[in-house]
Amino acid sequence: MMIDRRLFEEIDWILIGLVLLLSLLGVFFIYSSSHFLPGNYYLRQLVWIGIGIAAAFLVMIVDYKFWVSFSIYFYALMIAVLAASLVFARLVAGTKSWVKFGFFQIQPSELAKVILILVFARIFAEYKGRYLNTQSTALALMVAGVPLVLIMLQPDLGTALTFVAIFGAAFILGGLRKKTIIILLALSLVIGAGGWTFGLKNYQKKRLTTLLNPREDPRGSGYQINQSKIAIGSGGLTGKGFMKGSQSQLRFLPARHTDFIFSVIGEEFGFLGVFIVFLLYFLTLARMFLSVAKARDRAGVYLIFMASVLITFQFLINVLMIIGLFPVTGIPMPFLSYGGSSLLANFIACGLILNVKMRRFANV
Amino acid sequence: MPGDKIYEDLSVVVRRANAVFRIVAVALLLVLGYYWKAQILDYKRFWDLAEANRTRSRVVSAPRGLILDRGGVVLADNRVSFKVSLLRESVKNAAVVYPAVSKLLGISEEELRSRIERYKNLPLFEPVVIKDGLEPEEIAPIEARRLEFPELEIAAEPRRSYPKKTLAAHVLGYLQERSPEEIRDNPGRNLRISDLGGRAGLERQYDDRLTGQDGSVVEIVDSVGRKRGENPMQPPTQGRDIHLSISATLQGKAEELLGDREGAIVALDPSTGEILAMASSPTFDPNRFIGRFTPEEWVQLMNDPASPLENRAIRGLYAPGSIFKVVMALGGLDLGLITEQTTVYCNGSIVIYGTSRACWFPQGHGSMNLFNAIKNSCNIYFYTLGRQMGIDPIATAAGRLGLGRKTGLDLPGEKEGLVPSQDWKMKALKTPWFPGETISVAIGQGQLQVTPLQIAVMTGVIANRGGRVVPRLLLDREDSPGAVSPATAGQPPFKPAVFESVIEGMWRSVNDMGTGQAARVDGLDICGKTGSTQVVSRERAEMLARAGKPIKTHSWFSGFAPRDHPRIVVTVLVEFGGGGGAIAGPLAGQMFRTWKDSVGK
Repeated sequence: MMIDRRLFEEIDWILIGLVLLLSLLGVFFIYSSSHFLPGNYYLRQLVWIGIGIAAAFLVMIVDYKFWVSFSIYFYALMIAVLAASLVFARLVAGTKSWVKFGFFQIQPSELAKVILILVFARIFAEYKGRYLNTQSTALALMVAGVPLVLIMLQPDLGTALTFVAIFGAAFILGGLRKKTIIILLALSLVIGAGGWTFGLKNYQKKRLTTLLNPREDPRGSGYQINQSKIAIGSGGLTGKGFMKGSQSQLRFLPARHTDFIFSVIGEEFGFLGVFIVFLLYFLTLARMFLSVAKARDRAGVYLIFMASVLITFQFLINVLMIIGLFPVTGIPMPFLSYGGSSLLANFIACGLILNVKMRRFANV
Repeated sequence: MPGDKIYEDLSVVVRRANAVFRIVAVALLLVLGYYWKAQILDYKRFWDLAEANRTRSRVVSAPRGLILDRGGVVLADNRVSFKVSLLRESVKNAAVVYPAVSKLLGISEEELRSRIERYKNLPLFEPVVIKDGLEPEEIAPIEARRLEFPELEIAAEPRRSYPKKTLAAHVLGYLQERSPEEIRDNPGRNLRISDLGGRAGLERQYDDRLTGQDGSVVEIVDSVGRKRGENPMQPPTQGRDIHLSISATLQGKAEELLGDREGAIVALDPSTGEILAMASSPTFDPNRFIGRFTPEEWVQLMNDPASPLENRAIRGLYAPGSIFKVVMALGGLDLGLITEQTTVYCNGSIVIYGTSRACWFPQGHGSMNLFNAIKNSCNIYFYTLGRQMGIDPIATAAGRLGLGRKTGLDLPGEKEGLVPSQDWKMKALKTPWFPGETISVAIGQGQLQVTPLQIAVMTGVIANRGGRVVPRLLLDREDSPGAVSPATAGQPPFKPAVFESVIEGMWRSVNDMGTGQAARVDGLDICGKTGSTQVVSRERAEMLARAGKPIKTHSWFSGFAPRDHPRIVVTVLVEFGGGGGAIAGPLAGQMFRTWKDSVGK
């Protein structure tokens, strides 16, 4: 399938520019926070950005209708991989969320987010009423529930939360009656209480209690939050300068180049750096969200909306987490944090948005 | 139906999507506000926390002041050694770290844990010294594996050393680690854990003066405590030196003379009270066990029945024996009970209070006046005098010469000894005094107990013709508290004339074929008195039995020289030595000779 000239003209170059800008900004801070470690993380991230661009391009050249209609097979494959990784994958950092492919590792759960978006787009696009009916709600719950349980078992609370966000976004868009909302809230309360008692691992509980009182455990999970807050707070207005943050350079800050990259920005470039990243993100998200008006059909609206929510949710949780307003759940900052799987998934999500947007006039 | 259109009506979903975006926009603004609060409003607090994170203050130990003899010979010095400390806050997993550290340093894990247990109440950031006294070549293999052990801190520190080894060990004392209680009880002195402090001898007496002021370095550290840089330091100041009245030559001679014998030698200048030598035997080498740990060697010394750690010169209690006869003579003359011409006939024994008592010379000395009684150390003369005097006047005379109380030497742990009296016996033993006991006391036996230093001071008072002697080890006059010009202070204990009579007897003892003749030195007018303690106390006898020693008499000699304007007192005590004239006398003679050849010139 060729991309014709008209499609090419409809590509949102501004969105691509913003995303690349964020990604390259990430590379700079990955360098700053890991140059003293072996492994050349910033170079690897550059390679991953390249792979991400290629993947997004592949996603873009095929009409999203194709991806949506094939999503059911991706979904089946995803369930199979998640189940298999649960059984076979070797334990990495206490979770079973990594799968090794030859020389690189990948987190299937990251890509599962994108697949989930496609599946939901397919399911919800069928329902054209103002509100979702019971059958479709139940079906969507089931479709989301299976991978959710598998990911919870890994256990990967962060990804599971993202799943819930995507899924919640789909419901918001589909429309829920008050009655359904009440039932769902009651259900989630029961599941939540049950999960706290039986489902959550001790370390996960600890993360939640630590949020309420970080000083309680300054050497354990509270340590990360404390060090991150100190890093950000001590950045002041203009920061300590590139590669001059004592918290990041002297390794007080945990997971500096991955989940806590934004703390490095806060420390080394201060509130000014934080503001610039927020501004860039705001522009990117606005560009994404407001693209829904450009979608030619319901599936396209769902795709753009859920992809936007995916990136928004990760960003918000990350900035809340590193300043101690949300438990440490291991959700990286999209485009900025080091990590191939996350980068790939977010680039593909962007690719989907661009795909829908560029085909606004395409004939079905 | 809207669905019939080519482009379906998506306005509802689009509206919902836009509503969500508006919520997102507000959320972003709120979160940005929170960052503003943290970075702008709370900036100072977080900045301080970041600074506290990356800096750590390290203490630089100050060297102790030197201890020098009267001629400037260094008796206690400092040399560089290394210590290894454990930063407890950096220990992530004790089950892994402790065995590895104990293997690296060659200390048992049990010892390591008990050491850490001892300091469990101190803040975690305080390093705990777990090995010290290391030489540079011992530190190299530890330094090489530094990165594997971020919880270890290696630091150089000045370590006390005693270059003359055993010389004056009892006077100098030794160091031990300060206890947590000592640190807690002295908040003003700025003591730190793992500090070494004076535990015995002068090191303890003048600990304040010898202890320097520690300096500090502010280090930049990373999250695991590795040092990444250093800020300028506040240098430590060394403790103040102290100069002793001890003469290394005389001290060395005294120790050499005692050799393997158990005993003590004290030499002092009667005109000033300055101690010239104070030896106690057996002795020890403090170099071999100073430090923070209690090595086996120290425990062995503590448990040795011969008590090598005890300073016999100030803590050994002995019956004075015949030396006490000079006290009797002074008291008797002063009371007018005898004069120089008073004679007593000695036929070798005498019956007093129904008991027959012998002179040490069974054939008898014949007719004895005071000079000859002292010269020959005739028991019969002093039995007779003792019966005349009675116990309380004897006790008074002994007390006036400083017996039965501390001499005031600037060394901790001095003992008082005992001068018995009627009052004392009633209080201590709840029985009345028996007159027969007085007779034993008259020749320096019975319950009388004195230290060699007390005898030296008493001899000094006689040499001064009554002038007071306050012994001291510190040479710096202005630094010695309470050191008044001793020879002039206070009332003389007896009329000045009586001293000359006793001194004449002591002179004859050494120079006129008396019991002290072995102490004679050509060209030096030595006056002295011998003593041999014949009775061994029950405790002492038991101790001897434990040590497997035969019960022999202790051997005494105490004398001064020259007769006019005396400048040195020498007191010798040899435990189980035998007769005072045969053993202690020659040692004292050697001391006088050495003094004459060195200090006395």
